[in-house]
Amino acid sequence: MSLPVLVCDDSAMARKQVVRSLPEGWPVEVTFATNGVECLEKLRSQRFALLFLDLTMPELDGPGVLEAIKAEKLEVFVIVISADIQPEMKRRVMDLGAMEFIHKPVNTDKLTEILHKFGFL
Amino acid sequence: MSSQTITEDQRDCLQELINVSMGQASDKLARYLGTFVEIQVPAIALVGTAEITGLLAGNYNDEAVSLVSQGFSGSEGIRGEALLIYSKINADGIAELLGYTDDEVTHTEQLTDISSILTTTFLEGFAEQLETSFSYSAPRVVMLGERKLAEHLQERSFNWEYALKVKISYKVVDHSFNCDMVLLVPGSALETLKAVIDRILAEF
Repeated sequence: MSLPVLVCDDSAMARKQVVRSLPEGWPVEVTFATNGVECLEKLRSQRFALLFLDLTMPELDGPGVLEAIKAEKLEVFVIVISADIQPEMKRRVMDLGAMEFIHKPVNTDKLTEILHKFGFL
Repeated sequence: MSSQTITEDQRDCLQELINVSMGQASDKLARYLGTFVEIQVPAIALVGTAEITGLLAGNYNDEAVSLVSQGFSGSEGIRGEALLIYSKINADGIAELLGYTDDEVTHTEQLTDISSILTTTFLEGFAEQLETSFSYSAPRVVMLGERKLAEHLQERSFNWEYALKVKISYKVVDHSFNCDMVLLVPGSALETLKAVIDRILAEF
């Protein structure tokens, strides 16, 4: 069975970059969200095993999504993929429940290593 | 008005490349100042010479600002100017962040150092993603909080008819200053930049 994965980023290129960086042959079913509001709507209506979350987005940003996930007790494993790489930002999102903080641009090696680390592969 | 356009795909790609570069620049600045730097989604637009003064100066009203300029050019013909517009500057606040004692460094030196960190890091990151390299001039302090931006821009002439304007706002959270980085890429160089972006998009 394929794993339901949600990719949330306002940039079409960034979303494609995440998908392109997924390990080859990994059975996933990818859904996209283009901002934080859309991301939460999808998380409320369907169960996702994994969320790749951008931080700087219009409507609702990544930290806002993490706060809502926490408040609404939505169950999903969140990996933040961020252009804002300040250690303080990492600390903030890890405090909000993110499991990992990856710097953009993402690539297959980085993603594979992290998916291994958390037992997804 | 410019007759030129960029497609939605090109704009999306450019914005993502800029996001990554400004993320690197803000991280460098945050480490240098020992504080957190807030960034927002960059604003990308095509502008004509007639509009530029109003567009740039409009954000600062009657406030006197400091202005630093740094030119850059790349091997493939991408070139432009990075303008750093500092507002709400608290020079003592910056000195305190940097741990300087009174008058150890001048305001000009402070701005030159900060500007150099921001533009150099940004441009290096941007060039790396474009798979090219840039050379750049040293940052030049044009105004030091003594005048309004509109006054300066009205006296200045731009040697292009239209340009790509990218505005990135860096906000230092302890409110020592706000800095808007405005990249201006003239029309001729923009064609080259668009070709490079198309090459990146073709890989996706």
